[in-house]
Amino acid sequence: MIAHLHAQEFPERARDALTDGPLRQAIARATDTIGDRRAKAVLEIPEWEELREQARAVKAHTLARLDHYLLQFVGNAERQGIVVHWARDHAEACSILGDLAAAAGAHPIAKSKSMVTEEIGLNRVLEERGLRPVETDLGEWIVQLAGEMPSHIIVPAIHKSRQQIADLFASKLNVDRTEDPAELTRIARRILREEFVDAGLGISGVNFAIAETGSILLLENEGNIRLTTSLPKVHVAVMGVEKLLPRLADLEVFLRLLPRSGTGQRLTTYQSLLTGAKRRLGDEGPEAVHLLILDNGRSSMLRNELERETLACIRCGACLNACPVYRHVGGHSYGSVYPGPIGAIVTPQLAGIGAAGELPFASSLCGACRDVCPVKIDIPRMLLRLRARAVAPSPGESARPRPWSERLGFRLWAWAMTSASRYRLTSRLARWFHGPLVRFGPLRAWCADREPPRPAPRPFRDLWEKGSIQ
Amino acid sequence: MKDAPHARDEILARIRKNLAGAKVPPLPSAAGVPGSPKSITTPSERLDLFVRSLEAVSGRVHRVRSVERAVRAVSSILEETGAHELALSDGALTQQIARKLSSAVATFDGSADRTRCLRAPAGISDAQWGIAETGTLVLESDAERHRLVSLLCPLHIALLRASTIVGSLGDALAKVARERPEAMSRAVTFITGPSRTADIELTLVVGVHGPQQLHVVLLEEG
Repeated sequence: MIAHLHAQEFPERARDALTDGPLRQAIARATDTIGDRRAKAVLEIPEWEELREQARAVKAHTLARLDHYLLQFVGNAERQGIVVHWARDHAEACSILGDLAAAAGAHPIAKSKSMVTEEIGLNRVLEERGLRPVETDLGEWIVQLAGEMPSHIIVPAIHKSRQQIADLFASKLNVDRTEDPAELTRIARRILREEFVDAGLGISGVNFAIAETGSILLLENEGNIRLTTSLPKVHVAVMGVEKLLPRLADLEVFLRLLPRSGTGQRLTTYQSLLTGAKRRLGDEGPEAVHLLILDNGRSSMLRNELERETLACIRCGACLNACPVYRHVGGHSYGSVYPGPIGAIVTPQLAGIGAAGELPFASSLCGACRDVCPVKIDIPRMLLRLRARAVAPSPGESARPRPWSERLGFRLWAWAMTSASRYRLTSRLARWFHGPLVRFGPLRAWCADREPPRPAPRPFRDLWEKGSIQ
Repeated sequence: MKDAPHARDEILARIRKNLAGAKVPPLPSAAGVPGSPKSITTPSERLDLFVRSLEAVSGRVHRVRSVERAVRAVSSILEETGAHELALSDGALTQQIARKLSSAVATFDGSADRTRCLRAPAGISDAQWGIAETGTLVLESDAERHRLVSLLCPLHIALLRASTIVGSLGDALAKVARERPEAMSRAVTFITGPSRTADIELTLVVGVHGPQQLHVVLLEEG
């Protein structure tokens, strides 16, 4: 299950977002900028396509033998003193993490950005237990202060202008109002540094888990992940079951792909490759390291090759920036912690088609997401499969109710397109009754926002048969 | 605290059930990963690419030919930034240089005195490897206690021997790998430029949680 899910509200939320001029401007500008940076960074590598293919192949292999690699990884991690926990779903994960946090005492909990902790709704659960989680990534912290959800995988506060952030800081933090990003960042550094010093527990995500060594790798630009994993006495890393890579050497592929795809950087500022817990007195770092491995619906996505591909996602956010729908409606419209094209296939698979069946329809199937995906996930194909599941659900799943006009329309379409004579007949009818058809017929809803195509006065096949075209 | 006893077995069972009969595509070879920088075979080509890559991400590079010159470079960096206090790692080169610094600079063990390290204007460490492809420093915890001095202070000075610069990310990963996982450094930190964020309207700001300035003193001996 995904926490704070409102995916079925996509149509209403998208309509609201479309009338929000400043929001659309902010998102368009940001996604254009990151998209351009990505394109430049990709051009530096002539073998980009081979690199993507290698990444896809490594992930496909690993996911097909996931049980093997998970056990190898966990064995290596445990042998080196890491305490490994397993959670079947979000509730189990939150309970384990809540216990660890409570055991750390009355201190703030330093959190670095992690999609999986958003997915399980960890912050709210910790707060309900009287604990105080503090997001330490600047964008996540802004979103937390505002009481909102992140709207982009890489740039959580992409939807906020500097004026809004200035107002937010002035009202919540008791500081002089400033709109200067450098000044706002300095304020964040000062306040969050205090929190880091007090924190008894640091919670991070995991970008890659290396089976052959039991290591985890974390990427970032700010340094807050390094602080989260170095300063508090206890570090807990949270990962989905799918994060594995077989070999340390495989990191080369993904380190070349991920930063370029996500932000257009050759490499993010920091990578922390962490292996095992403290060994010697005088070693730096936490006294204890825990690792939580979460299923929460992922194992059910292993069933066939296409669905399994979804688990190869490395959360770079490139598909969001490329998506014409995301660029117009923003991340909050998706009503899920996973927005954009990847969200439209991840969310319904994790939360169920009944809870998120609207999302696969939020796409024009243009394929821009597939073109930029560093691990070559066939998102459009998966969207189609999920659409089919939404209208004809398997037993136990609830259907996405469609308007009668749409159902009738598609039935007529199928009837007409499966026979040459019916096609000829209906296209003639369409020419005669074009006007009433788009005004009153099943096409009315579709035509409300679009210019309906006009049938040619004489069909091509007539002209062809008469020899007017050669 | 008690974890549900069967969670692990149940998750593994679900995975096995859903993967039953799945075709396992081969794992591609990890050698010769596409996109490795070409035509940087000589040490001087690696060095030049390293310097260019690091400067492209606002790192400052000081090339010196002897330890004495390195001491001078460190002194002038500290002077330039007005830093009179310096948190030290226990790296060999760092210790060697710290002993030769003027007494006007107060030095201390940065990982032993965290409180002081949190307030100090500058920290200094070695770096075990450099990566030409990206201008990256690689710091291994088995070689020195680097985690705090390279992170907490507004200025980080790193000392790097030119002979340790490798070509690609893959070359660096091979250097930090060991025969057995237990022999790997507990923390290997890759650093490419000063700490940065672009979370407010994608405006680049340096020095958000980590150092605002990164100076690399590159020692090219004989």
